[in-house]
Amino acid sequence: MKLHKKILTHYLSCTSPVDKEGYLYKKKRTATYQRRWFVLKANLLFYQERPADRHLLGVIVLEGCAVRRSECDGQFAFSLVFEGEGLKTYRFAAADGQTQESWLKALLTASHCYLSLLVRDLTRQYEEAQQLECSGESHHSSSVPALRQPSSTFLCPAQGSSTAVRDSRSFSSSNILQAQNRAAAKKSPKLWLRRNAHVTPINGPAPQYGEWPLVGSDPLEEFSKLHDYYGQEVKKVRAEWLRGRERAEVAELIDLS
Amino acid sequence: MRFNEKELVFLSRQPSEMAAELGMKGHKKGDVIKRRLVKLVVNFLFYFRTDEEEPMGALLLEQCRVDREDRQSFSITFLDEAERKYLFECDSEEQCREWMDSIIKASYEFMRKNLIFYRTEIHRLTGKDPLEQYGISDETRFQVSNGLQMTSGETSSL
Repeated sequence: MKLHKKILTHYLSCTSPVDKEGYLYKKKRTATYQRRWFVLKANLLFYQERPADRHLLGVIVLEGCAVRRSECDGQFAFSLVFEGEGLKTYRFAAADGQTQESWLKALLTASHCYLSLLVRDLTRQYEEAQQLECSGESHHSSSVPALRQPSSTFLCPAQGSSTAVRDSRSFSSSNILQAQNRAAAKKSPKLWLRRNAHVTPINGPAPQYGEWPLVGSDPLEEFSKLHDYYGQEVKKVRAEWLRGRERAEVAELIDLS
Repeated sequence: MRFNEKELVFLSRQPSEMAAELGMKGHKKGDVIKRRLVKLVVNFLFYFRTDEEEPMGALLLEQCRVDREDRQSFSITFLDEAERKYLFECDSEEQCREWMDSIIKASYEFMRKNLIFYRTEIHRLTGKDPLEQYGISDETRFQVSNGLQMTSGETSSL
């Protein structure tokens, strides 16, 4: 399959800011680590030898992967686990706990799916907040920034969902709660099922069981549950790092300056 | 530049509502329109030969412009120096409109701008930052300065 790389490299180098960058150690197949400069932008993780390098070594598209701490791989280690037959696990290590935690958090919130769910949730909150506002305060609309367009556009952040585009009721919280009642998450919320949530028409019937690539739960779950799970991971990482800090002697830190 | 090809091919197999056979013409001078199965998954546009399981290619839908070409066709122009343009022919005006709309909204940057807009507006209307409950209010990617131009009065409390 051809990936049109010039589009990616142009996107990387264009004026919009990067989401995170820094040195990480990337584990090779031979189990040795190589220090690389990583740049995270949207759902793309680019890497090169050094920050000033024009030559990009590679890019990892961050969709369909779980972000996991993997202390079994060593100190400050974590991995990107792509779930699916024959798919890779990328292993990394940070120089210290703070870097590790920071990257974990950035990578956990990097996927398109995650952003999509977040936008949906905020759309709902926005609608609710608007409804609570007194109808008499019509002057507010004039102070709204230029980005705002006719409301039907902004009510439909989901991708390709034609029924949702026409029906602004698709994103009411009651629909999401109904879907949540049907759900029974057995697997990590970072797996593919989460991604499917935003391509399914909320008002339409769920696809047949056989169409889902993975066995298990309902395609749509309440966003706060997803966040709780992520939040737990991040909290766990942080708690363990704090405990480690209290216990440990001063470890040798690699000077990255 | 290496990339996680297997994983990207796996991504291309995920269910998507925006998947259809369209006419597609590449950017090169001699290119002609060919029928391709075009599929939108997250911010990637995959295209397949109609009888094949593995995609021929993947286009990242960032830094591009979507234009109406005629009643049933649209184009995607990538805004690098070369300004490569891909043409797509649909079967109806409605289908054309749906695809254009979906492609625009699939862009990560577009979604980011939306998010920042809603974040700011919700904060303005309720006095609360909606990202705080998720513990992500200080993530760089969600900062107001990242996407949206705001007047100083509106950014002061974020």
